[in-house]
Amino acid sequence: MTSYALFLGCTIPARQPHYEISARKSLAELGIELIDLAGMTCCGPAPVQSIDLETSLSVAAYNITLAEEAGLNIVTLCTGCFESLAMTNTMLKKNKLLKEKVNRILSNAGREFKGNVEVRHYMQVLINDVGLHQLKKCVSKSLAGLKVASFSGCHALRPSGLLKLDDPERPHIFDDLIEALGAKSVWYRNKLKCCGGLLRGYADDVALAIAREKIVNTTKASADCIATLCPFCFLTLDMGQILMKSAYHEEHSMPILHYSELLSLSLGMNPRELALDFHKIKVDKVLDKLGYVQSVSTTT
Amino acid sequence: MDELKVGVFLSTCGNQLSKILDFDALMDFAKKIRSVVIVAKSSEYWRGEGLRTITETIRAGKINRVVVAESLPKLSEVNIVQAIEDAGLNPSLVEILDLKDHCAIPHKSTPSEAVAKAKAMILAAVEHVKLLEPVEKAEFYAVKSVLVIGGGIAGMQAAEDLADLGFAVNLVEKASFLGGLAARAGRFFPTDDCAICIQSPSSDVKTITHTSRKCVYRSGFTEIPNMKIYTNSRVTKVDGVPGNYKVTIEKKPRYVNEAKCVQCDLCTAVCPVEVPDEYNAKLNKRKAIYINVPSVYPPAYVIDDAACKFYDCAKCVQICPTGAVELNQQPEKIRINVGGIIVATGFQEYDPYVIKEYHYGDYPDVITNLQLARMIDSFGPTKGAVIRPSTKEPAKRIVMVQCVGSRDRRWNPWCSSICCMISLKHAILIKTAQPDIDITICYIDVRTTGREHEYYYEKARDLGIKFVKGRPTEILHDPEVNMLVVDVEDAILGKLLEIEADLVVLAPSLVPAEGARELSKILGIELDDDGFFKEYNAKLRPTETKMRGIFLSGGATFPKDAPTTSLHAHSAALKVSKFLSTGKIVKDKRIAIVKEEYCGDCEFCPVTCPYGAISLVQKDDEHFVAQVSDILCEGCGVCVGTCPVNAIELVNSRPDQMLVQMNALMSVKGTSKPLILAICCSECGHAAVDSCGMAMMEYPANVRVMKVPCTGILQVHQILEAFKVGAEGVMVVGCKTDGCHYEVGSEKAKRKVELTKILLREYGIEPERLEMINLVYIEGDKFAEAAKTMTEKLEKLGPLQLMKSL
Amino acid sequence: MAGMEKEELTNLQFSKEIKEHMGGETITSCYQCGTCASSCPVAKITERFNPRNVIRLALLGDRKKVLLGDAIWLCSSCYNCQERCPQEVEITDIIYVLRNISMKEGNMPNIYSEFAAGLLKEGRIVPMSKFLEKKRSDIGLPPLKPADVYSLRKILAATGFDKILQRKEEKVSL
Repeated sequence: MTSYALFLGCTIPARQPHYEISARKSLAELGIELIDLAGMTCCGPAPVQSIDLETSLSVAAYNITLAEEAGLNIVTLCTGCFESLAMTNTMLKKNKLLKEKVNRILSNAGREFKGNVEVRHYMQVLINDVGLHQLKKCVSKSLAGLKVASFSGCHALRPSGLLKLDDPERPHIFDDLIEALGAKSVWYRNKLKCCGGLLRGYADDVALAIAREKIVNTTKASADCIATLCPFCFLTLDMGQILMKSAYHEEHSMPILHYSELLSLSLGMNPRELALDFHKIKVDKVLDKLGYVQSVSTTT
Repeated sequence: MDELKVGVFLSTCGNQLSKILDFDALMDFAKKIRSVVIVAKSSEYWRGEGLRTITETIRAGKINRVVVAESLPKLSEVNIVQAIEDAGLNPSLVEILDLKDHCAIPHKSTPSEAVAKAKAMILAAVEHVKLLEPVEKAEFYAVKSVLVIGGGIAGMQAAEDLADLGFAVNLVEKASFLGGLAARAGRFFPTDDCAICIQSPSSDVKTITHTSRKCVYRSGFTEIPNMKIYTNSRVTKVDGVPGNYKVTIEKKPRYVNEAKCVQCDLCTAVCPVEVPDEYNAKLNKRKAIYINVPSVYPPAYVIDDAACKFYDCAKCVQICPTGAVELNQQPEKIRINVGGIIVATGFQEYDPYVIKEYHYGDYPDVITNLQLARMIDSFGPTKGAVIRPSTKEPAKRIVMVQCVGSRDRRWNPWCSSICCMISLKHAILIKTAQPDIDITICYIDVRTTGREHEYYYEKARDLGIKFVKGRPTEILHDPEVNMLVVDVEDAILGKLLEIEADLVVLAPSLVPAEGARELSKILGIELDDDGFFKEYNAKLRPTETKMRGIFLSGGATFPKDAPTTSLHAHSAALKVSKFLSTGKIVKDKRIAIVKEEYCGDCEFCPVTCPYGAISLVQKDDEHFVAQVSDILCEGCGVCVGTCPVNAIELVNSRPDQMLVQMNALMSVKGTSKPLILAICCSECGHAAVDSCGMAMMEYPANVRVMKVPCTGILQVHQILEAFKVGAEGVMVVGCKTDGCHYEVGSEKAKRKVELTKILLREYGIEPERLEMINLVYIEGDKFAEAAKTMTEKLEKLGPLQLMKSL
Repeated sequence: MAGMEKEELTNLQFSKEIKEHMGGETITSCYQCGTCASSCPVAKITERFNPRNVIRLALLGDRKKVLLGDAIWLCSSCYNCQERCPQEVEITDIIYVLRNISMKEGNMPNIYSEFAAGLLKEGRIVPMSKFLEKKRSDIGLPPLKPADVYSLRKILAATGFDKILQRKEEKVSL
């Protein structure tokens, strides 16, 4: 049984219980123990780094020290959290002066960054701790026939020098994971391009335009759904389609599903248990294609 | 031993120095020094009457050691020493000092202090010359034979020159045919000459008797006197010394007898094997038995032994009308003896596959400049047609991308120099032949620096070729219409473009040829940080490497165009010719000598010697000692500074010889200021003191200068000795650490100075009394500044308190 | 007179100032090749942002336009430009530096004030929804462990984060 300290971040508990539930359930099913630690705060992502870099590093380091204290590696569900924590972890491990600087700040809260744990995204956990082979064996309901447009988001891949998760130009891990469930990962134009999520709140029109391109390209490629790894991307693409209705007078209905939701379905879980009604764009089409009989768009 | 008889000759430089220095006092002082038998002064001693006085005195047997005070010794000593040698005295038994730029001029405001320093300098020179040993010249045999590695333009040109000059030339080429990269270029810019001519060497004799000086087309197949050509061959081992290298060449079999092959081409028709054709940059396939173009050298087919099925097939053997195919040929090992080596291995295109965003290798319609050159070449696989590899249809919309992997810190940070011209050449050739083809060139900068190169750029624009200043981020492919899309910003407009193309041509970085690193190890020469062979100094010593018998020619040092390569090749041939023409290499035996009884086989000196001149040899009782190669030793003394047990010494730079100078320089005070010893290397250090005086800068006369070959010769205890004999401060003055004329000496001296400072502190002596100064020749001001600063510092610190333990 | 707008190169040493910040050290390597601009998803959609242009103005010294302008807030932090830059200029990190400098001088777009306020109040930039927190057990989720806001506030005080928000509030009230 491999154990990890689960890092949830802000967006998932605040907005996306469906992500959390599917992740918890599927990882548990695959033999990964997720431990909730008290005290975890925001990870110190891009919005905080934009205000002050030292703050974002210190906040991220603070959260890492909680895991260090518990003797656990960290797993994140959000690639934004992954980028913030993994980048900080690597930078502080490599740069002694920087580590000392951050530790001086952390000492105000009685904490010290030691640099003895790893930060992982759950995608890495699936590949390294579970393995594609084992994963395939655990699939009880194959997603064969489903055409999935994979979208890992920027911060799973870049900056590649610090994250070292996958090849930034020819990534394949996410596609391998999707195909391990029996689905097909389809090509679509500008697959690796950003969703524009971080511009929401400052320039909503620009963010929406960028998100729209993704919806249009995946629709053109005849994808049944988009698979995401990040709650920000999810929000931008899912809620975004509702906004596109009023902004562009366009009807889009591209279901957006987190990988963990697809994973949960393939492991045989009942869609009712997955809080799928929190999706703004209904996922009925996907469930129909996969042969689920009842509609799950109403909460029980 | 003969009694020492020292003659001291002081030049007054046309009486100018006598205005500052009291020459009578100096001469009186000199007369009193033991072993000095003659003291004289004159206006000049480096030529004319003065020089004759010296040589006559020698011939008359009156003196056997000479001390001359003359101006600009680094220049004047050549004449003086030559004359002395002609007069019959060993030229090493001479010491020349500079009372002008090292004494009178910089200290002219303090004449009495200057005189005191002059006395110290004369005393040091006399005491030093008394300890000097005669140094003989050594002659090393030089074979008048040359090895040229690489059969492209550079190799062939240099080989041709040397063969014409009468040297025995061995030209070794790793490919099966001569010609190198240039032969595949199609045409040469900026004249658009055909490149295919560069397939075989020619002799100048022929071009003088024929009228065609421009074309070399018809000159290749005769035997060139003095030249042996080995194709399909590599150099695998090089032993020996400059002038006498023992080289091993390994020749792969051609499996075709060159004397019998008539190039009928029947064999390729029956050969069942097809492999990608590297000659045509893999645009097409060739058979296992093949020839590149009809006019190659050697004029015979060759079998690719990795592809051939040999006796499982042997169809070519059966069909060959002259029985030229010999599948049982064996590899050969050839050993030759040469005096000099020229490396002409050229360069190659970087494989852009690694630059994944450009999708070279993923999309067949993304090609390189070399592939385009092969297409444009009418001898090439498409007979001159520029086509899309994916459809074989003619290309109509071409986009060229420059700097692919060049000027890129992630791959190759350098500018590859000729790719702008190559791409312009291709664009002009295509557009001239087919004006309706649309061509756009995406660039960061356009570099057209050579003669007439800019007119290429003009012509390209006149023809309507478009230029976008922007480096594409990615090349995309639209599968629905099978078109490529180049994603680029026009940085001048600030607009993002998506340029559609059916063919994209990348201009990849140009990198050293395959095998360069292994070859550098075999030859013992260095590569620079970019992986090219390191030229010793491109301005002062072009084509030379650090190893005296090994030279470089052509693109092996850095990508070059054909005219520059040709120039470089001629230069290399000239250099080698000068090196070997007399059949011997003459050298002063001013070298390092090992005192074997002390050598502890610690391996420090072989590892430190920048010239690889020291090796370890096994003695009878099986222990190892260091041994110095007479011919390779450059006389720097860095080994001496490295040896922990003083088991190695440099001729005429022994510790006792240095100590006697230090003593003498400190013995005549004549000033209330604290005495400083400046130990200067004979290159930048001592030269900076010269330039200081030449520029009429002043500094205090308490600074006394002693010259050493390289600051790397210094041992920690020698620096401490200086303090013991009266120096209150010591300056070690050497070249900049990244510019040491002996590579590592300055760096090592710096380290030693740091260690000595630690020891000084332990001894209770202020470590600021010791400094290292790194400068170049023209930084005389830096030397003057340092002298003044240290004097002030020492005055503040007060007199040196030496502990009894020291 | 109507015509081309002149750039105000008020601070010729602006690049030096940027280089002194962590993440800004590489700005002077830029040779304006435009790879970043063509890699940028935002530049593709709007002319309001062009990373090459931002670096250009910063290098030339138009400090005012860069720090007070709209452009630096439009980077979506996708890091595509930084990945592709042939001179390894850390473009995205430089934009963070420019934001930091601008923030310290009191310029904070509203959305960031919200984030900052959330962080100081609850330890989260996206505030927790009470409704959802109650619903967790219905969905089958374990209770959410509370954030240690007390410790976080100590850290935010040590870095001066709270002062940055204050500066913005002061500027707004002027």
